[in-house]
Formats: sequence, structure tokens, C-alpha cells
Amino acid sequence: MKRKVILVSSVLAVCAMSFAFTTIQQPKPWPVPEKNAKMANPVKSNAESISAGKALWNQHCSSCHGKKGLGDGSKAAQLKTTPQDMTLAACQSQSDGALFYKISEGRDDMPSFKKKIPEAEDIWNLVNFVRTLKK
Amino acid sequence: MKLKIKLPNSLLTLAVSLVSCLFLLQTSTLYAQDSTGVAKERTAPVKAKPVKNTFDGTWIIDDQTVIVPVKGTFQMDIMHRFGTVGNGYQDLDGIFAPANIRLGINYAPINNLYIGLGFSKDDMLWDGNAKYAIIRQTKGTYPVSVTYYGDLAYDTQFDPDHSLFPHTTDRLMSFNEIIIARKFNDRFSLQVAPTLSHQNAVKGFYTKNDSTGTTVFQDMRHDQFGIAVAGRYKISETTSIIIDYDQPITKEPTNNPHPNLAFGFEFTTSGHTFQIFMGNYQLLNPEHDSFFNANNPFSYTDANGTKVKGGQFCVGFNISRLWNF
Repeated sequence: MKRKVILVSSVLAVCAMSFAFTTIQQPKPWPVPEKNAKMANPVKSNAESISAGKALWNQHCSSCHGKKGLGDGSKAAQLKTTPQDMTLAACQSQSDGALFYKISEGRDDMPSFKKKIPEAEDIWNLVNFVRTLKK
Repeated sequence: MKLKIKLPNSLLTLAVSLVSCLFLLQTSTLYAQDSTGVAKERTAPVKAKPVKNTFDGTWIIDDQTVIVPVKGTFQMDIMHRFGTVGNGYQDLDGIFAPANIRLGINYAPINNLYIGLGFSKDDMLWDGNAKYAIIRQTKGTYPVSVTYYGDLAYDTQFDPDHSLFPHTTDRLMSFNEIIIARKFNDRFSLQVAPTLSHQNAVKGFYTKNDSTGTTVFQDMRHDQFGIAVAGRYKISETTSIIIDYDQPITKEPTNNPHPNLAFGFEFTTSGHTFQIFMGNYQLLNPEHDSFFNANNPFSYTDANGTKVKGGQFCVGFNISRLWNF
């Protein structure tokens, strides 16, 4: 009986310790200048724009963010920053201007795309495609 | 006494005319302001933009595509051509046979221009190249894209007794082409390119050399015309089937070069283009391939009347890494 108590206590202690040392990775805040966040999307979201955005997504973004924006791309596991699930409100509640800013400027593992995708219209197309990922 | 001013009729007419003109001008200005206001309300006509990504990279197997990357793009190429297939397990169908390798770099200093430098193993060949986009396919304006590509190659193989190259300029060869391409839809693009290759020196021998004069037989011509056709069909956003065909047109007196038929797959990522394929060209330089390709995709009869089996393909790959500065 005594041995059983010791065993159960040990298991509980190990469980408690594992919880104590587990850190849940919170996304680092990414402030967007107000001027950029308020920028209106000049490209109307239509089939043509979404198709162009999808092509850019598959070429430049899906390897980290995943085909459906779930953050499960083939390179995601190698990154220091876990790509966020873009189908959820945390991403979708951001303004078009904020998404445009983040794609253009990049941060840490997320590269800047303003030189790789030099035309602003293309980045807006990408923003329009990101909106279609919403669940 | 009342003062009477008598103006000549002509002066009166002039004054009335000037006042009328001022009114007219004023009225015109008012109309101009009004029309500006209307223009602001109207939606501006959307200007058609050139089509993008006619091809996914600057290479399509052995040929250049019509694509000129955006200003500030830096590219590094690693290209391999293995040995010809046919020996089976002995050299794993050419994979373990001696391979030709080219390392190259390119940069776009301004929009529409791409300049580059390369170095190939066979003949220790250096090449400098330039590409300029003349026309970009634009809906309603230009049905095709047109790009010029030129390459100058310098053979640096060891020749201490000058038996191969009596003069330094004999080492030079050049290549020029105009590439005409059309993107038919998001999946399918096709291009055709008339080409002109030039070699500074050709081998020859005297067929007559006596007091009555000399006649020299040249085994090849200095210039070789050809035509290159290439196409891409995308099977997904990042994977394409690619095909490339080069046909020499000028008939050489001896050592007539063979055509090139190449086909394979292309995989594109944000910063890479990777192509793996089978083809007949092995020399990794357009002017050298145009003049000296000895592999034939088709069966043929040689100069001695012997039937030679075709299918002399080799496996190859191109890797391009892109950076944007």
C-alpha cells in the first residue's frame, strides 16, 4: 500500500513539474503603424484578384504557412517562430492595411516581400486571397 | 458745358471686342473647372499591365526564356549535364559518367536588363551574357513578349603550343537570338526564337595550293542559323512540364550539328527554380551547342551512309537561386 502511494505521488509530481516547465508559445506582438493599418485596399476582391493572390501564396507563402493557411507548411517545423493559423480571428480581424504592411515588411522568420513582389497590386491580391482562408 | 468725347468707331469696336474676349475667357475657365469636377467623379480607365510569369525562370532547359527578372534581382545558377544513356548499370545510364557543369551568376541593374557571367567545365569556357526585354505582352497592346539575348563565350582550354588557337580571337564564339513568347493562359506558354551563332575560327585544309592559286576547304561555316521552340504547361501552381527543341538550319560541310529535344519537369519556390530533364545538348553554352552538338534524338544516316540509332539523351538539371536586393 505504501509503495502504491509513493508511486502515485511520484507520477503526480512528475506531471505537475512537466506542466510547470511547459511554456505555451505566445505570438510576439507585431505592432503596425496606424497610418499603414488604416490604408484602404484599392484592389477589389474578385475572382481574378483572388486567383492572382493564390498563385503568389502557393509560390511564396505556402511552404511555411501551409496550403490552407493553418501554419503547417513543410518548412514550418524548422522556424523559430511558429506560423499562426491564418484561418482564425486573430489573423482575420486585422485590417487589410495591417496584412499588407506585414507581408511587405516582414519580421524575424517572415521575410520582407516588398522587393520580391515589387508591385503593390500583387500584395493586395495576396491580402484578398488571405481573406478566403477564413473559416 | 457738356464735354463731348468723340471716339473713332474703330477704337470703340476694339474696346468692345476686348471686353467680350475677357468675358469669353472667364466663361471658358468656369467650364474648365466644371469639367475637372466631372472627371474626378468618373472612374479612371484601368490601364492594362504586362502579363506576369510567362515562364517561371530565366532558363527553360537549354534555352533562355523571354523572362527578365525585376530590377535588383541576383541569380545564381548551378547546371549539370550527365553522360549519355545507353550503358545501363555500367555508369547508371550516364549518371556516373563524366558530367559537364556550369556555374553562373546574373544581376538586373535596371528594369528590363539582365547581365551575367558563367563558367563551364567543358573547354573551360567563360561566358558573358546580356538579356533585354523589348516588348512585354499586354492585353490590347502587344500580343507577345519580345526579348533579345546575346552571349559571348571565351574558350580557355590549355593550348601552350597554339595548335588549337593560333590567335587569341580564335577562342571567341558568340550567340544572338530574339525570343518571341506568348502566355496563352495561366497554364500554357510558348516561345519561339530565331538564333544566330558565330565562331571566329574554323578548321580547314588546302584542296589546291600551287602556282595557279589556292583553294581552302573549310569543314564548318562561321555562322549557324537555328530556331528554338520551348513550351511550359503548369500542372500545379509550382510544378510544370517543360519541353525545348532546337533545330540547326545552316547545313555544315562536315560535322553537321544535330537537333536537341529536351523534356522534363520544373519546380518553383519563392527563391528557387529547379528543373530536371532529359535532352541532347551537353555543352551548357548556346553557341557551342549550336555548332557542336553530337547527340541526336532521332535516327539518322551519317556522311558515310551508315545508319545511326538516335536516342542519344543525357539526364540534366538546372538550379537557380534568386535573391532580391
